[in-house]
Amino acid sequence: MKNFKKNIALLAALACAGTMLAGCTSSTTDGGDTTDAPAANGDTTAAADNGGAADAPAADANAYEAAQTAGTGALTLPEGEGKVFNIYCWNGDFKKYVESYYKAPEGVEFKWHEIANEGGAYQTALDEALMNQDSAAADEKVDLFLAEADYIIKYANTDLTQDVTKLGVQQWDTGYDYTYKAATSVDGVLKGVSWQANPSMFIYRRSIAKDVLGTDDPAQVQEALSTWEKVDEVAQKAKDKGYVMFASPLETYRTFANNSDVSYLNGDKFATTAAFDSWVAQAEKYVENGWSEKYGLWDNEKQAMMGTDGKMMCCIGPAWYFNFCMGTAQEQTNGDWGICVGPQEHFWGGTWLLAATGSDNEAVIADLMNAFTANEEIMDKILSDAKEFPNNTNVVNKYANDDSYGLEFLGGQNHIKMMAECAKNIKWDPALHTQYDQTFNETLPNNILEYLKGVCDKDTAMSNFYIALSEVAPQITHD
Amino acid sequence: MNKRKPIKSISYAKWGYIFILPFFLVYAVFSFYPMVTTFYYSFFENYNQGLTTIGPNFVGLQNYVNLFKPNEGRFELLEYTKNTMIMWVLGVVPQFIFSLLLAVIFTSVRLKIKGQRFFKTVIYMPNLIMAAAYSMLFYVMFSEVGPVGMLCKALISPDFVVFQSVGASRGVIAFINFLMWFGNTTIMLMAGIMGIDQSLFEAASIDGANGRQVFFKITLPLLSPIFVYVAMTSLIGGLQMFDVPQIIGGTDGAPNRSTRTLIMWLNNVVTGKARDYGKGGAISVLIFIITGILSFIVYKSMVKEDPNAKKNKRRNKNVLL
Repeated sequence: MKNFKKNIALLAALACAGTMLAGCTSSTTDGGDTTDAPAANGDTTAAADNGGAADAPAADANAYEAAQTAGTGALTLPEGEGKVFNIYCWNGDFKKYVESYYKAPEGVEFKWHEIANEGGAYQTALDEALMNQDSAAADEKVDLFLAEADYIIKYANTDLTQDVTKLGVQQWDTGYDYTYKAATSVDGVLKGVSWQANPSMFIYRRSIAKDVLGTDDPAQVQEALSTWEKVDEVAQKAKDKGYVMFASPLETYRTFANNSDVSYLNGDKFATTAAFDSWVAQAEKYVENGWSEKYGLWDNEKQAMMGTDGKMMCCIGPAWYFNFCMGTAQEQTNGDWGICVGPQEHFWGGTWLLAATGSDNEAVIADLMNAFTANEEIMDKILSDAKEFPNNTNVVNKYANDDSYGLEFLGGQNHIKMMAECAKNIKWDPALHTQYDQTFNETLPNNILEYLKGVCDKDTAMSNFYIALSEVAPQITHD
Repeated sequence: MNKRKPIKSISYAKWGYIFILPFFLVYAVFSFYPMVTTFYYSFFENYNQGLTTIGPNFVGLQNYVNLFKPNEGRFELLEYTKNTMIMWVLGVVPQFIFSLLLAVIFTSVRLKIKGQRFFKTVIYMPNLIMAAAYSMLFYVMFSEVGPVGMLCKALISPDFVVFQSVGASRGVIAFINFLMWFGNTTIMLMAGIMGIDQSLFEAASIDGANGRQVFFKITLPLLSPIFVYVAMTSLIGGLQMFDVPQIIGGTDGAPNRSTRTLIMWLNNVVTGKARDYGKGGAISVLIFIITGILSFIVYKSMVKEDPNAKKNKRRNKNVLL
């Protein structure tokens, strides 16, 4: 009996072991050959009257005039257009804007596919849908999808997205140049647009600035933070008063990375850049001197430092950061913040609308894209209502020159003027961006953070990054 | 007698087979078939480069060879196996000692503890909470601004951060696993102890054996089949450790990849951006083999304590192979 029990136990255990393998099965996607996309017949579906002829980035005034009416419901659907408009996105922001600001053309139903971005789930689902675009039924095909700055190139550089200039969308003079460059493929084809620009600013705590610099006036603080050397000096002063300049040494990473003039990737070969090296050197200095804490960008500890008793003087981020991501500050220190440009212009994040190849709603794509770039009524609401920084200089200038406008969170500061200056100088060179930007901009600095925390040495941190990279892109090598 | 014979020939055996058929069908479709395909696909190169899929191309044993090659001068397979085993042992040793103690106390005829049901429910409760939620709770408590994290800073050193220390991070993970699973183990062991013939305990006490003697001479040896089962399931569960370290250490198993387990590795390879099914298949097969070997070792080492082990040696071996 005892042996029997024992054997049963063993069998049961082995059966459990067997099930370990279940679920690890491979599903073969029938991908591989990206199909020749059904070429968009530009002139049949152009929303703007001048059709798909405008190849040059400089848009003519008439086209802009026409595009202003986009999103007012004025569009009548051309023959043969689909009735269901499928949009892939990872949160409800854009959906909210479309539902509250945009008037859809008669007879089109918007279908939102919202897949949360946790663990890269959004891109996984989107990739799957795009790769199966050809076999999908007309009403199931992806028409439009949203992409972030860190991986927009992955889509813009493939045939899975289409030339939107053929649909009647153009690079408007009112838009910020970098937002168009970001959505342009390496061979110069515009694949999408963005309704926002994201100049990333120095966000400083006014009360701490007063204590350290004797002023909280944005212009004077900017003067004190206009070069990296000056930032160092302020950091030392802040430390002497018992504050820290930053909560995270990662804070300045984007500033350096955005202003790099070489790419991390040369073909399939990875190499760190001079910009990266200077960031690491700066981060080391800040940690060593006690000018920065050693938290991650999104850590709760950093949030805690924005609270009433928080000692953090600055953080860096665009409008979406200080309006939506500084939770503790919004609750406890609302109004005690100000922004200035800092030593170098740069951007962080951003959401683009990309047109999927094979869409059967090309007129709606153009209408939507024009509405969220050229329709100044909508863009005004993006600024005044949604508190974003719109990608339209006409609207931006209107607020920049309005002295009565200001954000309560920023102590009544009119942030628009400063951000507008900053947005103009943002650089984006398509040749410097890769489809693996997300890994370079997130995984790489996060691994360096482990080194800065003293968890491991720098070589180990780099080898940890290379291992992570090999899981993302097995084909990439390095020295 | 003659009349009985035809009745005897009516067999109900087929009903037995019919009743167990659903299990085998489900097993074949959802476990056995995927298992075989996993083996099969481990011989193929098949991953994504951005939006293009490479393969599947047959590459023979290349995926396996790659796993045994150092990546950045490090043997990932060995590293993650080590991490997994360390965290498992850290959690399982106190778990077994504690559970055994509780099981003996609860089943003791002399102590006759009241409110057993209540205690059983309470100690089992942590297991009912989702592992991810439980880990999240601990993550917040032990983080730098959390209550326990701040206490550690005050008691140990102002520079001490729980999740920056390899030992402490692994310790927290092991502790969570311990808390989640000791109730389960206790109940299993109690069932085992209650399955032992009470007359043996009575005889022992009549013979004047003390508590310790009863425990080591009667309870423990007679408990060994259940103990082997518990140890084995725990080992297999331990090798599949995933949710707790994934929350505490993140995908890469911070700090310094020290809390990355085998399954976290597998998960990242298969569901990550590259969707490397070939490599993932090879890792799965290796985990299968590692589990087999370790189960064998655990089984062997535990069965030795059984005086009848030698007699059964041959049979056991046959079962395993």
